[in-house]
Order: sequence, then C-alpha cells, then structure tokens
Amino acid sequence: MLTALHPLGKLVVCMAWIAAAILVFDARFQLATIVIASLALVVLDRTSPILILALMVPFALFGFGFLTTSVLFRQDSDFALRIAGESVLNSPAFSAGVTLFLRAIACGMVSALFALTTDPGALIRALMAQWRLPPRIGYSLFSAMQLVPDLAAEAQQIRLARAMKRGRPPRRFPGPVELVSLVIPLLAFAIRRAGRAAIAMETRGLAPDAPRTVVSAPRLHGRDLAFIAIAFAALALCISWVRMG
Amino acid sequence: MPSEPRAPEPIRPAHWQQLSIRYPFADRPAVGPVDLSVEPGERVLLLGPSGSGKSTLLLSLTGLIPHSIPAVVEGSVRLFGVPADARKPSAWATTVAQFFQDADQTLCGMRVEDEIAFALENRALPEDVILRKVAEAMRRVGLPEAWRRRRTTTLSGGEKQLVALAAALAQEAPLFVADEPTAHLAPEAAGRLHRLLMNAGEGRSVLIVDHRLDGLIAAVDRVAVLGRDGTIVAAGPPGAIFRKKRDLLDRLGIWRPLASFLDAELEKVGLAPADPPLSVDDALRHLAGAPPEVVRKARPAIAAFVAAHAARPHGDRAGGATVARLEAADCAPFLGPTVLHDVTLDIRAGEILGILGANGAGKSTLGASLAGLLKLKRGRREGAPGGIAFQKPEHQFVAGTVQEEIATSLGGSGARADQARQVEGILAAWDLAGFRDRHPFELSQGQKRRLALAALTAGDRWPLLILDEPLAGLDAHGAAMVAQHVEALSRSGRAIAIVTHDMDFALSLCTRSVIVGDGGIIAEGPTAQLLSQPSLLKRAGLAEPAIAPAMCWLDRVPAC
Repeated sequence: MLTALHPLGKLVVCMAWIAAAILVFDARFQLATIVIASLALVVLDRTSPILILALMVPFALFGFGFLTTSVLFRQDSDFALRIAGESVLNSPAFSAGVTLFLRAIACGMVSALFALTTDPGALIRALMAQWRLPPRIGYSLFSAMQLVPDLAAEAQQIRLARAMKRGRPPRRFPGPVELVSLVIPLLAFAIRRAGRAAIAMETRGLAPDAPRTVVSAPRLHGRDLAFIAIAFAALALCISWVRMG
Repeated sequence: MPSEPRAPEPIRPAHWQQLSIRYPFADRPAVGPVDLSVEPGERVLLLGPSGSGKSTLLLSLTGLIPHSIPAVVEGSVRLFGVPADARKPSAWATTVAQFFQDADQTLCGMRVEDEIAFALENRALPEDVILRKVAEAMRRVGLPEAWRRRRTTTLSGGEKQLVALAAALAQEAPLFVADEPTAHLAPEAAGRLHRLLMNAGEGRSVLIVDHRLDGLIAAVDRVAVLGRDGTIVAAGPPGAIFRKKRDLLDRLGIWRPLASFLDAELEKVGLAPADPPLSVDDALRHLAGAPPEVVRKARPAIAAFVAAHAARPHGDRAGGATVARLEAADCAPFLGPTVLHDVTLDIRAGEILGILGANGAGKSTLGASLAGLLKLKRGRREGAPGGIAFQKPEHQFVAGTVQEEIATSLGGSGARADQARQVEGILAAWDLAGFRDRHPFELSQGQKRRLALAALTAGDRWPLLILDEPLAGLDAHGAAMVAQHVEALSRSGRAIAIVTHDMDFALSLCTRSVIVGDGGIIAEGPTAQLLSQPSLLKRAGLAEPAIAPAMCWLDRVPAC
C-alpha cells in the first residue's frame, strides 16, 4: 500500500518526521518513531520483520558510537556522578547517549520506509513534474542510479580478468589492496560512462531550456491526502505525549 | 539566349561537403575531406576499415562534433538543407534518430516505457500521443508487454539493444543513423533489427555502419567506402561495389558479404549471374534447372567457395588429451545466480569448440566456468586453468604501453634481449608494431581486441583459451588474422573455445559446437550438423549461416 502512495507526499511526511526526531530530544519519541515506521512497513507494505531488523543494524552501529562517546567522554559529569554516588546507567550522560542512539535508528528507519516503498524513477518524475526539478538534474540522477550497478558489473569483470592472470578464482569480497587498485579504472569508467550518457541524452533531444512533457508522473489521490493527514496527526500526538509526560 | 531554368536540387536529408575532422593533438584528420550525401528515402551503408573515421563522421552529422566532443571541423554538414551548426545537437532529435553500437550509450537507466518515451517527452508531445507511440514502437520491435515497467538495467545486452531500437524508432525521425547496431546481437535478433531498420515502406532515409552484411545488404540502395586515409574511395550500388571493387575492399580489409566470394568463384568459370548477387541464394538462382554441363562446370567453383568458408580440416583432434572437463556442473556468473544447470562438457587438446546461443543464454558464463575462473554452484571441474579473452578487451590491460602489456604476459623468464625479440615478433604478427609505445587505452577498438588476444596467447601459460566474441570491433583484415592465429594455436595443441554470434565464423573454425539455451546445453555435436537443423536454430534464437544455401546446393545437386 505504501508503495502506491505519491512519492512527494511520502517525502514530505518523512522529512517532517526526521526533522522532529532531530529536534525532539526524548528517547520515548525516538522509540515511538521506530515502532511506527517498523509497523507501517510490516503491516502496510508486508516487509519482512527480519529485513527490518537487519536494516537497523548499520544505524544501530552508528548510534552506538554516539552512546559510547556520550558515556565515556563526558569528563565534566564524571566527578558529579561519583559525588552523587549514581551509577552510569542512571546518569544524564547515559540517557542522552540512549536518546542519540535511538535517534540514529529512528532517522534510519524513516529513511528506510521511504527508500523501500518508493520507486526512484517515480520520485524523479514527480520532482520534475510537480516541483519543477530541471530535467538535466533529474536525468543526471537517473544516470547516476544506472551507474551504480554498472560500476559493480565493471568491477566484477576487472576482478575476473585479474584473477585469471593470478590463475585462481576471485575471492567473494576484495581485500583492501585490491579495492584500492580498482579505484582508478573504475573512476575512468565512470567518467567515460557519464560522458556517453550526456551525449545520448542530447542526441535524444534533452535541452535545458525547452518545454517538455513528463509522462507517467505520479498524481496526487485522496489516499495520499489521507496518508499525509494521518501521518501528521500521529506526529502531533507523539510530540504532545512527550511534552505532557 | 536565356538559359533554361534549372530544376531545384532535392533537399538532401544529409550532406557532407569537404568535411574534415581533426581531434585535438592528432597529427592528421580522423576523417576527410569527405563529400557524401544521403538522398530522400535512400538507405546508405557506410563501410571502412577500423579507424577510418566512420563513427566520427556520424557524430558530426548533428554537430555533436565539435559541440560536445572537441575537434577542429572544416567543411560543412547540412541536414535537410540547413547547416548542422545552425541548431544545437539536441534540436536535431526531431529530424535525426541516432542508434549507437552500445545500448548503454542510448539508454538512461529508466524503465523500458520511459526510455522509449524519452525523446517524445523532449518534444513536449501530449501524453496520450506519447503513450500511443510507445505502445506502437514496442509492438513493432516485439518487446513483450511485461517489459514495460522493467528497469533497463535488468535486461541483457541484446535485450537492451532492442529497447534502444524501439526508443530510436519511436522518434519517427525522417533520417535514421545507426552505428554497428548488431555488433552484440544473436543472429535472430540481428535479423529482426535489420528488417525493422531497412523497412522501405516507411520512406525513411537510413545511414548505417555495420560489419554484418549478410541479411542487410539486399535492403541497401548505395554503399560508400571510406579508405584508410578517411576519404571516400568508392561509392555506388552494393552489387556493383562488391563485384567491381572486390580487390580494393580486400586490400582495405573491409568485410564483404559471402555472396561476393561465391560470385568471384563463379566468375572464374564464366558462370557469374548477370546481376551481381547480394545473397548466396541470388548467386545460385540462375543455376536452377541449368543443363548438366553448366552444373558440372559450376560444381567445383561452389565446392571451392564452401571449402574456403566452412569448417577447414584441422586434423583428427578427437584423440587429443582432455584439457578441461565440467561434470554435472551448475554454472553461475560471478556473485550471480545459477544460469546453467547440469552441464557436462569436455574440451581436448588441439580442438576448437564453438559456444553458441542467444543473447543472455549464458555462453560467457559457460566459457569462464570451463576455464575454471568461476566457482561452480554444483558439480565439478577437472583440468588446468584456462585464459580468457574478455568481451571488453580493456579489462585485461594492466601495463602502460602496448609492448609492456605483451612483455608482462610473457613473464620474466629468459634473457632481456630474447624477450625483446619475442615481444617484437608478437607485435609484428598481430600488426601492432606501429603502436608499441602507445597506451593500450589509446588504441582503436579493433587494435585493443588484437592486443588482448596477442597478450593472452603470448607464451605458453594457457593450455586452454576461451575467446569471448573475438571478432567484435574487428574489420575483415583483423578477423582473418584472428582466424589464422586460432588455427595456428590449435595446431600447436592448445584447446580453444570460441563464444560467438557469427554462425559463419563458427562454421569456418569450430569442428564441434555446443548450443546454450533454456538454462543448459541444448545440443552438442559437429558444427555443420548443428547449424543445419532449422528447428534447433529457431529454438536457440540462432539463424542458419549465410553459406548454408551453397552447402545445400552441393548436397542437392548430384555430382556429374
């Protein structure tokens, strides 16, 4: 269901929710955000809970950095803690660290909700049709999206060719030395590829100043307005709950 | 006395006048001076050896050179009577549809329907008109409706090429320009593309550069030939060019259709048809119902033609030792899912094995698995590791100069003087001596291909060689050189597997072939036998070799 929603409606909601997660420094709000985003993905988009947990891992690792920094490097609070005889777990530094930790996951889950339920092509078409994103930038984004799998395929071919010279199959993941050695050829490939794409688009009539039609741009429906209204109502409720509590 | 008013000259879709293009830092023009035109409704084939400037000439048509690709341009280009530089290249999209060799040069990574709609969106056509034209283009090219919402990144190379063709046809431009459109297509798809491009009923003018002439040439009105110096050295109707300029084309290393070779053989015995033939069928048609003495005279000529272009005797290699063997193997591309199941295949010393199949069938994966470069998902492989000449030769290059590339492949053993002599010998054998100090990436596509093959075959490290599309980007001279080297390597006892879309090339070199399709090997046997089974070829998305009618004629017409 989330997949069928207008990408710009989802973008506005997700941006608003991420902004709130940054501004509302409260662990309960971050937790509510994580739960709502995860539930929306599981219930409305039938995303596997295991995938959601897996997606949380990188954000959790990132957030763990905030947590440890907050707990271990708050020199000024250390003396106060000892005087007051408080444990680290009850300290303000720890609760701040937990909030930061949860905030990283909350922002990550909101981003994941958007990324998992939005067709990038539809987003760019909507941006060009409704928010007047210049087609040159829009189609550059299309090309950039194409470049990622192309770079991966190119890297695989280069690795195969080098493995052949070494006389053994390539390893699944390249080591650091091999990674560094791939940088220059891949950079050269990306530059060549970008130049060709620019020429191809020009050949097919893409001009910066000419009017153009955007076909199949997503249109706003009643369900999009309902989604936006419900999402903002939920956001307002969460903020009020935190403020009251 | 007042002179009679001259009839106005027709407005030519494309007209190059004394055009000469020199790239920055180049010591001579890449092409020109050239005088060439395309008349309304005319279908022109541009031929030339590697590096003669064909692609450069096409890029100058709408001003991409010098507008987007820097170069010094002298002379003029006019499109429908208007100087090309009077508009930006993008403004010519309504007039000229361009189709590149590499589909990735045409596509932007969108969904199939968005790719086809792109040029029409740029013309600001109403949405319903665009959707109708998209549906029509998909129908004409034969793209399944299920592809509409597929990202082009998920398609195989040949499939992308068909989407690019649909996108170019949807432009409905009065001039269509195509640069080697069938270079990476399997025979059936290439035939379909040729038919769509050259459909005369549409009144479109077409300018095409292609090496794959059989199946195309009959639809061409005029051929223009660029020489090595980038000037037009011959032009005229295809029949006349391939009959009267045969020697010139051979000297320049330019591809000729097989019918032209048969025509030459029949000419030697005084039995060439009155009109120069454009297909092998054309060349034989006048012999149908001919008296026995004529048949008796024609037979040796046709037999000589078939002997020169069908599988040559490589000696009996069946008894050679097995070099590599796959047994009940499930093969998958690197980091990809299984594409071929339960493959059992071996290759013997001195054997040349053809690996044939449609685009995306898994031919390259089979080749790399046979070489031991890809881990099998199931089953086992026995034998020494093999070397691969990859489809993109650039992937193999590791050195800064051409001679270093060869020296690296030879390894460090032996005296320096000996190695230098060896390198010189290899460069001379592959016609690369003039480029020894150039960076491999600076070479033309054909030269890169030759360097990659030269580096792979230098020394005796690999008892098994896999050549993946070894003819791509090569002119006839380069292709003949590859064929000679392959035969020499086979005679020296190397096992060679050739992945190719060129059925005539497979027939001329490979004594045995496998046909890949439906997720496995669907046939294996002598190449000539496999390629004479129409139902098998249809199932595999292949086409019979152009030489087939001559082979049938020899079988059908009794020796007197």
